[in-house]
Amino acid sequence: MADSILVSAQGLTKVYNRGTEEVRALDGVTFDLQRGEFTAVVGVSGAGKTTLLHLLGCMDTPTSGELLIDGQSTRGLSDSALTRMRREQVGFVFQHFGLLPTLTVMENLTLPTLFSKKEAKAYANELLERVGLTHRRNHLPNQLSGGEMQRVAIARALINRPQVLLADEPTGNLDSANGEAILQLFHQLHRDGLTIIVVTHNPILANATQRQLVLHDGRLVP
Amino acid sequence: MSFIKLSLQNMLRRKLRTSVTLTGVAVAVAALFSLLAFQRGYQTGMRDELDRLGAHVLVVPKGCPYDAASTALHGASWPCYLKYAYLEQVRKTRGVSVAAPVFMNALYEANGNQTVYLGINDDIRMVKRAWSIEGSLPVKTGDILLGAAAAKSLHVQRGQEFDLPGLEGAKGRVCGLLATTQGADDNFLYMPLADAQRLFNRQGQLTHILVRLQDPNSLEDVVGALRACEAGMDMNIVPLTHLFRTIQSMVNSTRLLLGCIALVALLVAGAGVSNTVLMAVTERTREIGVMRSVGASMGDIFRLIWMETVQICLLGGVVGVAVALVGAQSLEGWLRNRLPFAPTGTLIHPEVSIMVACLAGAALLGSLAGLLPAWRASRLSPVEAIRAT
Ligand SMILES: Nc1ncnc2c1ncn2[C@@H]1O[C@H](COP(=O)(O)OP(=O)(O)OP(=O)(O)O)[C@@H](O)[C@H]1O
Ligand SMILES: [Mg+2]
Repeated sequence: MADSILVSAQGLTKVYNRGTEEVRALDGVTFDLQRGEFTAVVGVSGAGKTTLLHLLGCMDTPTSGELLIDGQSTRGLSDSALTRMRREQVGFVFQHFGLLPTLTVMENLTLPTLFSKKEAKAYANELLERVGLTHRRNHLPNQLSGGEMQRVAIARALINRPQVLLADEPTGNLDSANGEAILQLFHQLHRDGLTIIVVTHNPILANATQRQLVLHDGRLVP
Repeated sequence: MSFIKLSLQNMLRRKLRTSVTLTGVAVAVAALFSLLAFQRGYQTGMRDELDRLGAHVLVVPKGCPYDAASTALHGASWPCYLKYAYLEQVRKTRGVSVAAPVFMNALYEANGNQTVYLGINDDIRMVKRAWSIEGSLPVKTGDILLGAAAAKSLHVQRGQEFDLPGLEGAKGRVCGLLATTQGADDNFLYMPLADAQRLFNRQGQLTHILVRLQDPNSLEDVVGALRACEAGMDMNIVPLTHLFRTIQSMVNSTRLLLGCIALVALLVAGAGVSNTVLMAVTERTREIGVMRSVGASMGDIFRLIWMETVQICLLGGVVGVAVALVGAQSLEGWLRNRLPFAPTGTLIHPEVSIMVACLAGAALLGSLAGLLPAWRASRLSPVEAIRAT
């Protein structure tokens, strides 16, 4: 069923120029992801996992190859068109949480709506409840634990109702208990039909997914 | 949440750094504001002074032209005299409506107090049309008409006899009180011309003549005629409107210089703001990456950083204007002691329009200073920004 494919990567290649040396961070990566799939991207350090996630999140453009999200090609899109893709199609979660230190939990959560100019008060409350942080809504990030910050970051990634959630080592800075809580949250979101791609070194998280993409030296290991 | 709030919060993150930068803007704006307020005040002050004066032309002795004119207006002594006989010639000149003779002398006491005596006759009435006198002009020997400020400092009543300050043994009787003119006239003691000439031992001499024209527009012609008259060689004819213009242009050239300095200060302050915000952009590179990842466009980032710069400058402008308002009084005193000629009214007129102009200038400065950092920030690629440490 072609129309159930949400993300389609075709020969994605990313070459960095480090001085005179060329680094092929990604080399002809091809795969399709079904809508609603929960996928892990694994591999050793430097394998190209973050690079792949940045391409999928429209944060960067491939040197060659093509990426389709929801059937729409991202090839040759302008910066503002890529921005629109980031706003509407994807939600991004970072290992370092990426909360703005001057904003409260609620303000961080609704930050994307400042740029998309969509009203999402009710949905923000709902998400906050869902990640169990309603009582923390007016706190600043430095008053939260790492696990709580990451839950805020996940809620923020969902505020614009994206098609796909991209998470780069979301449990990398957390202890196992907090990592477990994040995993449970991903499970719930997956059950609700969200497509999730998570880069992880955490075997528990990786094993909990339906599918694993293994990267080695920028290539997919079959 | 709004862009304004977000950029305000960012601005307040480094309070010390922001305040140092802001001070630069504040100083420049305060200087600019004071300068503009002074320009406004000085111009109106000069115009009022001219109106109060009543005379169109001042005739002073040869030798000390502008100094003499300025002292004649403010009250002092100077060692040059006109012959009384010249008065007739001035009077007879075509176009002259009134020529009022004056003998002025200032006496200084050991404690620094100054008393200025003016010998006058009725002609003064025709020149100082705005004068309102309770009592009469000094006509009889011993009569003294007191300016409002002089009456206050001497504590004397109408009809009262008192010792003339600085003139040992001489007595006077208050024949009239002059209502305040808001000008230098308030400080003087007026007596009959003959009394003054006798008291200061200058019989048949004058210090200056106040001339009023039949038609102020014929100033050039009358001045020419006065210079051409027989006594013209011994007199200095000072057209007051010209005098004021000359003083004004002297002050104007200084003001231009000060204006340039204020402008340079403003530019330096702008560069400071630009630099501070550039630094902040570097520090917050990763945050900018996060914002790009959640959907901020290049324009959004530009706007955010640009607004932050404008806010710093605008706040600096507000502080600067406030400082200038608070300091206006001291500046006024300082200026008064240094200007070649200061009118009696307030020198510094801090008007709302000037305030608005200064704040608009600060905002404009911020807009320009913000272009570079905002451009830099918006050009950061999302991945580079997010990978920055
Ligand atoms: N901007 C860049 N310039 C040059 N080389 C880069 C750049 N970004 C990444 N690389 C290189 O590309 C390769 C892949 O990097 P990437 O960050 O995708 O790895 P990763 O799988 O996420 O590693 P880790 O598990 O350590 O996060 C690495 O060799 C890295 O050094
Ligand atoms: Mg990585």
